Amino acid sequence: MKILLVEDHPELAKSIASYLTQEHYICEVAPTFDEAREKLALFTYDCVLLDIMLPDGNGISLLKLLRKDGVESSVIIISAQNALDFKLTGLSEGADDYITKPFPLPELHARIKAIMRRRSVHKNNIITFQDITADLESLECRVNGKLLNLTRKETNLLLYFINNKGRMLTRQAIAAHLWGDYTDNLDSVDFVYQHVKNLRKKITDAGGKDYISTVYGFGYKLNAADS
Amino acid sequence: MKLNYRYTIAYAVITFFVLSIGFAIVYAALSRSVTQATIGKLEHLNAVVAAQLKSGRDYTGDPSRANVQISRASFDSTNHGSTAQIRDEWNAALQSEVSTIRLTTYAVVGGQPYRITSKAAVVEPSDVYLTGLVLVFAWTFVFLLALVVILSEVISWYILKPFNNTLRGIQLFQLSQKNTIDLHPSRTAEFNVLNEFLVRMTAQAQSDYQGLKEFSENASHELQTPIASIKAKIELLIDSELTEKQLLLLTGMHDELERLAKINQSLTLLAKLEHYESGPEVRTDLSQLVRTTEAAFADLAEMKGIRTVEQIADDVHVSFDESLAQLLLNNLFSNAIRHNLPGGEIQLQLSATELVLANTGHAPSAPVSELFGRFKKGNASLDSIGIGLAIVKRISELYGHRITYTYEDGWHRIRLAFAPEQT
Repeated sequence: MKILLVEDHPELAKSIASYLTQEHYICEVAPTFDEAREKLALFTYDCVLLDIMLPDGNGISLLKLLRKDGVESSVIIISAQNALDFKLTGLSEGADDYITKPFPLPELHARIKAIMRRRSVHKNNIITFQDITADLESLECRVNGKLLNLTRKETNLLLYFINNKGRMLTRQAIAAHLWGDYTDNLDSVDFVYQHVKNLRKKITDAGGKDYISTVYGFGYKLNAADS
Repeated sequence: MKLNYRYTIAYAVITFFVLSIGFAIVYAALSRSVTQATIGKLEHLNAVVAAQLKSGRDYTGDPSRANVQISRASFDSTNHGSTAQIRDEWNAALQSEVSTIRLTTYAVVGGQPYRITSKAAVVEPSDVYLTGLVLVFAWTFVFLLALVVILSEVISWYILKPFNNTLRGIQLFQLSQKNTIDLHPSRTAEFNVLNEFLVRMTAQAQSDYQGLKEFSENASHELQTPIASIKAKIELLIDSELTEKQLLLLTGMHDELERLAKINQSLTLLAKLEHYESGPEVRTDLSQLVRTTEAAFADLAEMKGIRTVEQIADDVHVSFDESLAQLLLNNLFSNAIRHNLPGGEIQLQLSATELVLANTGHAPSAPVSELFGRFKKGNASLDSIGIGLAIVKRISELYGHRITYTYEDGWHRIRLAFAPEQT
C-alpha cells in the first residue's frame, strides 16, 4: 500500500514515515506543494496524508486540484487547525477524513486502515488475531468461535488493539480513539482503565488468553500470546 | 432623540420665553399709554373748565360739566399741582364697576383757588385687550414653532446628510471585512475631520484584528506541529526496548506534552471564538443534541456511578451553530462528570427558554463568579486546564444567551437562559 505524506515539518514527516514503514506501508514524503503535485502526477498512491499549511501553497487547493484532475486516492487531512475549523468552515470538503495535530500515531494508522477498508473492492471483513476474530461488518467478536458480548466501545477498543498489535498504546491515544470529539476537555484517561479491564475480563471469561499487558502509568499493549 | 428634535425643542423654549417677555412689555406699554391718553384728555377738560371759571359766566348744565366737580380750595393746597387717581368705581352710566381716573387740578379765579376734579372711565387692557394680546402671541408662537419644525427637518436633512451617511457607514462596517470603511467626503469641515479620523481608526483596528487573527492561526500551526513531532518521536521511542525507569520518564514527558497540546488548542480555540462572527441566523435542535451528548457521556457517568435525571422538552430550537453548541455541551457535560462525586447525580433540564445542568460536587474553592475566567479552577487538585467554562461563556455570548453559575447546598448549577426570539 502506497502512501504520500505531504508535510513540510521534516522531523514530523520523518517520524510519521518511519512509523508507517514499520506498519508495512510504502511511504513517500513531499515537503512542498509543488513536489506533492509532481509526485501525484507521476505516481499513483492509495492514500495521501495532506497538511494544510505548506510553504508554497495551501493543502486545500492541492486537494481541489487533485479532485479536478480525477486523482482517486483517499485523502486524510492532517492539520494543526482545530476540529471546529473543519466543521465551521467545511475545510475538509473533498477529503475522506481529517485528523488534528498532535495526534497519536496509532490513531493515524487506524484512520488509514478504516479508509482503505471502505475503498477496497473485495472486502475482507474478518480480522483475526490469535484465537480472536472480529467481523468488521456486523461488529461481532469471537474467541475460539465463542461470541463475546461486548459493548460498542469495547468492540471499538478491541479492533484498535488488533489493528495496532504489538504496539504500545497510550491511554490518551485510546481515549482519543474511543471518544473522539468528546474528549477535548475530558480527562477520560481514567475511564480507559475501566474499559480495558472489562474487555480483558470478557475475553478471559470466554476462555481466551489475556493478550493485553499493562505498562504502568502509560498505556497498554496487545502481545502475541507466546512472546 | 434625534439631533434636530433637540434643536427644535431648545428653539421652542427660547421662543416661548422671548415671546412671554415681549407680551409683558406690550401689555405694560399698552396699559400705560391708555391711562396717559385719558389723563391728557382730562387735563384738557380741566383747562377748559378753568377758562370757563375765569370767564365768569355760568356754565352749569353745560355738557363739559357732566364729569367735573368744582370746589373751593384752601390756598396752600394749590401748591400740590395736579394729581391723578385711578380706582374702580361704580359707574351709573355704564351700570358696572369701572376703572376710573380722577384728575384734580387747581385754578385761581379772582384770588379764590378752586379745585377742579374731572373723571373718566378707562377701559383697562386687562379687560378686553388681554385676550386679544394673548391670542396674537399664541398664534405667533405656533406659527414660529411650525416653521422651526419644518425647517429643522429640511435643513438638518441637508446639513446632516454627510453625518448620517457616516453613521450608516459605521453601522455597516465590520472588523473582518476586506475593504476599508466606506465614507463620502462632505463640504462641512467638522464632518471631514470626523470621517478622516474614522477611516484612520478603522484601518488601524482592521490591521490589528488581521494581525491578531493571523497570529492566533499561526501560533496554532507553529506550535501544534512541533508538539505533534515530539509526541510522534516519543511514541516511536516507546516501542523500542526500554528499561522501566526510561519508560516512566517518557511517560511523564508524554503526559506533559499532551497537556501542553490541550492548553494550546483551547487557547487558540478561544482566540478563534473571540473573532468568530456567527453567520446568518442559524438554529440548532438542542433537544436532539442534548440527548445525543447525554448518550455519548452515559458510559463515563455510569463508570463513576453517577445517576442522571433528565427532563428534556421536544423541539427546542435555539440560535447556535451546531458544532459550537456541541462544544458547549461537551464542556458542560464533562465538567458535570469530572467535578462530580462518586455515586453523585446530574440533573438535566431543557425547556424552550433555558437549559439547566446541575451536578453534585464539592464546594468550589474560588468564588463561583470567577470560574468563567481563564485558568480558574474550582478545585485545584483536579487535572484539568480550567479553560472549558471560558469557552462555554464565549459561545453563549456569541449568540446572546445568558449563562450563570451558582453553587448551593452541594449542587453546582449552570443555567443557560436562551436569548429571546427575535421577530
